[in-house]
Amino acid sequence: MKLRTRLALTLGLATISLLVVLGWAQSRWHSQLRVDAIAEAAVHRMDSGGRERCEANPEHWPGPQGDRLARRHQGSSRHPGPRHRVFAYDAEFQSRNLHNPTFPPELAQQLKAGKDIASYRSADQRRTQVAVRMAWDEGPCAVVLMRIKGPPPWLSGAVLMPAFLVALVMILVALLAAGPIVRRVRQLTESVRKLGSSSEEPIHVEGNDEVAELGAAFEQSRQTIHTQLASLREREAALRNYIANTTHDVMLPLSVLQGHLVSLQRRIEAGETLDANAIVPSIEESQYLGSLLHNLNAAARLEANDGLAHRDPIDLNRLVERVVDRHRPIAKRKQIALEVAVPENMIEFPGDLTLLEQALGNVVQNAVRYNRAEGHVAVILDGADEAWTLQVVDDGPGIAEGDRLRVVEPSFRGSEARTRHPHGMGLGLHIASDVAKRHGLRLALSDTKGGGLTVKLIHAGA
Amino acid sequence: MSNRILLVEDDVALGQQVVDSLSQAGFDPHWVQDGDAARGLNPDDYRVIVLDLMLPGTYGMDLLKRYRVKSEVPVLILSARDDTADKIRGLKLGADDYVTKPFFPEELLARIQACLRRPNLVGTERLVVGPIQVDLERREVTTSERTLSLTPVEFEILALLARRKGSAVTRDTLVDAALDPSHDTSRRTLDVHISRLRGKLGSDATQLETVWGIGYRLSEGS
Repeated sequence: MKLRTRLALTLGLATISLLVVLGWAQSRWHSQLRVDAIAEAAVHRMDSGGRERCEANPEHWPGPQGDRLARRHQGSSRHPGPRHRVFAYDAEFQSRNLHNPTFPPELAQQLKAGKDIASYRSADQRRTQVAVRMAWDEGPCAVVLMRIKGPPPWLSGAVLMPAFLVALVMILVALLAAGPIVRRVRQLTESVRKLGSSSEEPIHVEGNDEVAELGAAFEQSRQTIHTQLASLREREAALRNYIANTTHDVMLPLSVLQGHLVSLQRRIEAGETLDANAIVPSIEESQYLGSLLHNLNAAARLEANDGLAHRDPIDLNRLVERVVDRHRPIAKRKQIALEVAVPENMIEFPGDLTLLEQALGNVVQNAVRYNRAEGHVAVILDGADEAWTLQVVDDGPGIAEGDRLRVVEPSFRGSEARTRHPHGMGLGLHIASDVAKRHGLRLALSDTKGGGLTVKLIHAGA
Repeated sequence: MSNRILLVEDDVALGQQVVDSLSQAGFDPHWVQDGDAARGLNPDDYRVIVLDLMLPGTYGMDLLKRYRVKSEVPVLILSARDDTADKIRGLKLGADDYVTKPFFPEELLARIQACLRRPNLVGTERLVVGPIQVDLERREVTTSERTLSLTPVEFEILALLARRKGSAVTRDTLVDAALDPSHDTSRRTLDVHISRLRGKLGSDATQLETVWGIGYRLSEGS
């Protein structure tokens, strides 16, 4: 059922119920007035000569054709009064007139109980009988019975018609009043339906009532959904971008590796004698490939801004040793002395284990990768929990001072940083710089005394 | 003590490579390819356990928990996932270290050696580094040739290096630990003491290495 119909029906039914209750109360009041008026008329009639006529000829009073009176009810001049019939009885409720009806037992019982006026309404509500005990309690006319025909006042057209009209008016008023509300609800429904196809259009319902509040709640939900959808789309785009970039980035070193291996195969087929160093470029490229994948993973996390989702106490001594051990094989093959020094006591630092290890790994890898044969790389951790310095010192080609600023610039642009660079300016140092910043560390690049590059990770206070 | 190492790794190619490199390094590897099979083994039968996490049957982390209930044997996790949460969880569950794939066999061997080295010798009264013996209680140093007569500074330098044998120690650490702060505490002064120490060590001076960019190291010997 539609809202407007429901409202109209509800209001109509409520009005009818109220009118019925009021009508019933009014009917009760009118009935009592009527009984009192009839009784008063009977007494008046007997006092004004009726008693004498009745007692003089009780066998025929009020007459063979009846004493029908068509008079207006006292106090109800606006409505035509009902027709009365009058009968006389003695104190024992017996009549001398043989045409009179038997005195109703219900009325006799009331009068015997001590009442002076008794009334009784028939089961069909169409006839009322009133008995009045006269002031004289003797003779054949001591009790007068009056019978009145006609519907009770509240069932009359005079009552029912206004009630019907009032209910009709109320229903019409309800239908008209519900119109604006229904329109606004329909507007809201339409806006909410549109959410399914597009979440761009805002939901707005004017006003300051519950419908407007409902509209505001829907708008709030729409905004939340819109934000979440945008975030999901962004992540999806980042994921697609990541996969595309990863594929591209991995293909390059893989091609170089394949080239090295094919070259080796050709040299062997040509009968060339190869020493162990011939395989070093291939090993180096495979290590670069592994490192690149870790870096791409780290870059994706940093770009998604969830770089420090995990922050746990890290044993820096162990981390430094682990990174150096990872790069020893390639350093050894390149005849580079890779040394490490950590303090006797463990230094603990809260951070993201994977990102910090990747950052240091990148710095060490660059120091080894771009160093000359018989070069040196030293990784030194010094200090205590509250202040420490981690240095990677090498005697390689170094980085020109102008380029150093680009490496540690605050923003990190993935696409630019992914480019392979012959001097270690690629993704690795960008990640190291970004990771350092997110951990509140300072990454400083300087010349090594005697030539080379020194990269320092400095914890505040050092 | 036995050189037995338990390797729990389901990848056949990688497992075989690790077994080969462990064997070449003088270890006795026992390779298990399934987590369920590894559940029934006694961890104390091995010196080190190398444990992959992504295993068929019982998950590596569950195996680690199970081993740690009854044993303190060093456990080294092999992780293909570059996920910090996994590493941290492994370390919190009692793993001693981890190695992220891909890795060179030498890297894995180095981490195993590090696990085996772990109970350090701090507090031991007598330190032995190759032919050099340092008696901390009697403050006496003997070499393959004779007992040395060292100054207090020289003894402190040598004792510190012996305590951390095989590891490079920075010049700053040595300066702080051995030199008198009220006198000259420069690195140059340290180098002078080292030079004198080498002179007193004679033919065993080769054990005392200069480490580029760091400082010095007392090694077992070449």
